[in-house]
This record gives sequence, structure tokens and C-alpha cells, in this order.
Amino acid sequence: MIEQTANLSLNMAHLSAGIAIGFGAIGAGLGIGLATKGLMDAVSRQPEVAGKAFGFFLLGAALSEACALYAFVIAFLLTGK
Amino acid sequence: MSEIGHWVWSTNLNGNNLSFNLDTIFTMWLAMAILIAVAFIATRKLEIIPSKFQAVCEGVMNFISDTMNSFLPEKGAKHVPLVASLFLFILTANLIGQIPLRVIHLKSGEFAAPTNDINVTAGLAIIVLVYYVGLGFIKKKGKFLLHEFSISGIIMMFVEILEMVTRPLSLAIRLFANILAGEILVTMMLGIFAYLLPLPIMLFELLVAFIQATVFMMLTMTYISSAEGEH
Repeated sequence: MIEQTANLSLNMAHLSAGIAIGFGAIGAGLGIGLATKGLMDAVSRQPEVAGKAFGFFLLGAALSEACALYAFVIAFLLTGK
Repeated sequence: MSEIGHWVWSTNLNGNNLSFNLDTIFTMWLAMAILIAVAFIATRKLEIIPSKFQAVCEGVMNFISDTMNSFLPEKGAKHVPLVASLFLFILTANLIGQIPLRVIHLKSGEFAAPTNDINVTAGLAIIVLVYYVGLGFIKKKGKFLLHEFSISGIIMMFVEILEMVTRPLSLAIRLFANILAGEILVTMMLGIFAYLLPLPIMLFELLVAFIQATVFMMLTMTYISSAEGEH
């Protein structure tokens, strides 16, 4: 009985790690998509700002990607149990 | 494969347990030694007409001070030493993870980027926290926390205090998780198919090393300018 409970909690930890990284990735995907949309809008309106806008795009993409990585840390902590 | 496991050396000091991650300490000292050596070589025999190496180094420093000046015009120059050291250290540390030092097998852990240890990134984030909070208190005295004596001012004070926790936390976890995720990704690709498949990922990790160093630097600049400039 005790062994079964320990097994179940380990399985649940792995399941919750999957759920955590999955939901985290949704937000980061939306964020990077929106950042790319903004970059495309800016470049198609004013092609001469392409270099400068790409720098800001990389910064914004890295910032929104970080949200997925917070989820990754949580998932890693859950699987490491 | 033990990505998150470190080569821990524990000791006991007056009943307190101390543990050191030896692999991280070694790679961190390696990064520092490379930086010191490059800085020493770069500042010998400076000339008006720069050699190629001097031109590259001047270009890097110009990039940093230009970015600092765009955040804090005219007052940015005195913060450049801190920001530049953070940027160069993080960049060197990230790139160290890409050279195959990890072929040297340890009992546990591996020689990878020192920034894949949260202790290193937390230390860097705490340096930034102490710097900008100290700067804010020196420049604005009590007004750094309490902008105006009213209800909204008091509420904003609590938000400022909350930010003192969340800012270094996000700085530390962003850098740590990016580097660790990259290394785990490369390890997984090695496990799937060891030839050629990890190469694009490793190239992408080179890009991530630059981007993360730049992001850390720019966020530090934002915090410094928010502490020194007008709100």
C-alpha cells in the first residue's frame, strides 16, 4: 500500500511536470509570435529600421522565452524528486 | 548523465555544513582567468591607429557604453565598468560551456558553463540588486521608496519593495534556465543521433549565449536608470 502510494505520487509528479512545461510553452509561443508580428509590421512600414527593430525583437523574444523557461525549471524540479 | 548534479565538496565549519560545487568554481575561475588575460593583452601597446585586436576590443566597449548612454544620457559613463564586467563575464562563462571541456569525466557533474549553476547567477543578480538599491538611496534618499506621502505613494512603496525581490529572482532564473535548457537539449540530441544532429542546436546555443548576456546587461541598465533617473 505504501509502495503503491509512493509510485502514484512519482507518476503524478512526472505528469504534472509535463503539464507545467506544456502550459508554459503556450504563453512563450504566443509571446514570440506577437513579437515577430510586431517586427514584420515595423519592417514592412519602414524598411530602413530593420536592423534596429531586429535588436529589440531579439530582446523581447528572449524575455518572453524566459517565461517558458520558468516552467521548465519547475518541471525539472518536479521530475528530479 | 547528470546535468544538474554537481561535484560537491562538503565541509564542516563550527557545526555549519558548507558545500562547494567544485566544477562550477573551476569553470568560473577559468572564465575569470581568460577575461583577465585578454584584458591584460588588450591594454598593452595601445596605439592611435589600432591593430585588429585593439579595434575589436574597442568595438565591444563602444557597444556597451553606447547602450548605457542610450538608457541614461550624459550620466551613464560611470556605470560602464560594472555593466561591462557583468556582460563580459556572462558572455565568457556562457561560451565556455560550448567548448568540449565536458569530455573530461568527473565523478559527478561535468565541466560546462558556470552559469548553469543557479548559485553563480544568483550571485550576479544580488550584485545588481545591491548596486541599484544603494544608488537609489544615495541619489534620492527616502524618496527612492516613498515618492510622495499619499495613499497611492504608500501603495507604490510596497510595489517597489516587491520589485526588489522579483527583479533579481527573474534575472537569476532567466540566465540559469536558458543555459541549462540549452545544455540538456544538446545532451538529448546527442542521445538521439550523435553525428551532425546536435550541430544546429549548438550553433543556436552560441546565439543564446550572446543574447542572454545582452539581456542581462540591458536589464541591469534599465534598473540603474530607474534608480538614478526621474520616474
